[in-house]
Amino acid sequence: MLGELLNPYQLQIASFVLINIILAISVYVTLSSGQLSLGSAGFMGIGAYTSALVTIHFEFPIIVGVLVGAVVAGILGILIGIPALRLSGVYLAIATLGLGEVIRVIFVNWESLTNGAVGISNIPQIGREIVFTTRDLGFNATSLGLQNNQFASLSVFLILFVLNIFIIWFIVRQKNSRVGRAFSAIQLDEKAAESMGINVTYYKVLSFAQGAVLAGLAGALFAHVMGYISPSDFAYHRAVEILIFTVFGGSEVIVGSVFGAAFLTLMPEVLRFISEYRYIIYGVLLVILMAVRPQGIIDANILKRLKRSKGGDVHGS
Amino acid sequence: MVLKINHISKNFGGISALTDVSFSINEGEIYGLIGPNGAGKTTMFNLITNIFSPSSGEIIFKEDNITGIKPHKITEKGICRTYQNIRLFSQMSALENVMVGGHCRSESGVMRSVFRTRYQRSEEKTLKENAEELLEIVGLIKYKDVLAENLAYGQQRRLEIARALASDPSLLLLDEPAAGMNENETDSLFDLIKQVQARGITVLIIEHDMPLVMKLCDRITVLNFGEKLAEGTPLEIQNNEAVIEAYLGKEEEDDIA
Repeated sequence: MLGELLNPYQLQIASFVLINIILAISVYVTLSSGQLSLGSAGFMGIGAYTSALVTIHFEFPIIVGVLVGAVVAGILGILIGIPALRLSGVYLAIATLGLGEVIRVIFVNWESLTNGAVGISNIPQIGREIVFTTRDLGFNATSLGLQNNQFASLSVFLILFVLNIFIIWFIVRQKNSRVGRAFSAIQLDEKAAESMGINVTYYKVLSFAQGAVLAGLAGALFAHVMGYISPSDFAYHRAVEILIFTVFGGSEVIVGSVFGAAFLTLMPEVLRFISEYRYIIYGVLLVILMAVRPQGIIDANILKRLKRSKGGDVHGS
Repeated sequence: MVLKINHISKNFGGISALTDVSFSINEGEIYGLIGPNGAGKTTMFNLITNIFSPSSGEIIFKEDNITGIKPHKITEKGICRTYQNIRLFSQMSALENVMVGGHCRSESGVMRSVFRTRYQRSEEKTLKENAEELLEIVGLIKYKDVLAENLAYGQQRRLEIARALASDPSLLLLDEPAAGMNENETDSLFDLIKQVQARGITVLIIEHDMPLVMKLCDRITVLNFGEKLAEGTPLEIQNNEAVIEAYLGKEEEDDIA
């Protein structure tokens, strides 16, 4: 029976994996034009709070709230991206880390709007909404042999899964095009890119804003999956965690971000039986990886070799 | 007249790299810019492409004043360059490098690229065909899928020229293209630059290889310590005493004797 196979807890972990993949891709996109941003937690928070507030106060449907959250994060990304052009490398990383902290402090202190450090609860949840809506339409989860909470978790997972596929498809298509070539040209040699006729300002702001939109989107989804958010969800350790997903998996290729986010989200869960040691293992793993494979687990060479051994088409699009 | 350099000066802090230099280049010419190290030749290239702006003076390209406009706009207008210390996109294949060169002659944005519209596909096809044709011309078509960093030195120099040509320039700036090349490579470089000229492209070249410069150029300007020392045909330059003095020093022994 389907009902016995689906464990809501495991489905929820899977949903977090998918949200974290979006976050990792947001760092990947920004890095693909050579910008190291640690602002992802801040943009994630903007998306989460925006969507939570508009769905609670204005009773927007969740899907509209999520889109508004992503757009607001994107607009902030453009506003931050323009002055950030003057910075590069570690300086940009520090500045964006500072930005994230400013955003978090605003969440803590603007109590009339954000409820301060306590956070916002009773955010409409995607799963519950789906159960209620389908019930109103006369559909009952039990007819699939599922309980309501199983059905809720399953639909959240499926929605996130489809969204992930779409985002990956979008980014891969973009990478194998004129826009993607402009991003990598800027990453490899900004001055040469400029003298080849690439409008560096435009493409750097574009990739920064795309990263912000993705982080905002992930944040909004996070809010509507959890049902509860507080400023500490978006503190700097979250920014570092997201960066580690991308760097651990390999920041050269999008598969790296997907793998990094999935592996590092699942590992602490799998290692739950040795609970007090698991973050030690996590840490040791990172140290070893950075010493042995600074480019991350998956890079372009590995992908090429995999494709060749399958004997498949080398020009994936 | 393709390019007119009008009383250009450039100071870095208190040091003047170029002082009141003027010259102009006619359409279809191969024009040489020579001079001892530190004479300000590369600075002149950086001013033309506006890597930095001149302290005074102006640069006229086909009757447009291009002084101070953004580097990518200058490439759009039809000036493209190569670098003295090669600046290829090392992690991209040779083909991709040349395709990046075609960036400003194409226009597909994010949406067209993601949804692969008919326009985008035909544009991408044209970009690729142009790039392959240019790789053919510089003799690198066999290496089109090789990463730029894995090419030999001489090949990298030729790839840089192909990349610059992909932006469809009417004026090509070459910064010491023969540096580090052996005789055979220099010979084929000569042929390549002649071919570029035959395509109707004006060439401004900085080069230390004097036999090449004399064979190649229609006219030459000599810079020394940031000032223009002489201008003329290769023959005039070879017989100009100020130039000989700048390169070889004064013949003091003769004075003593």
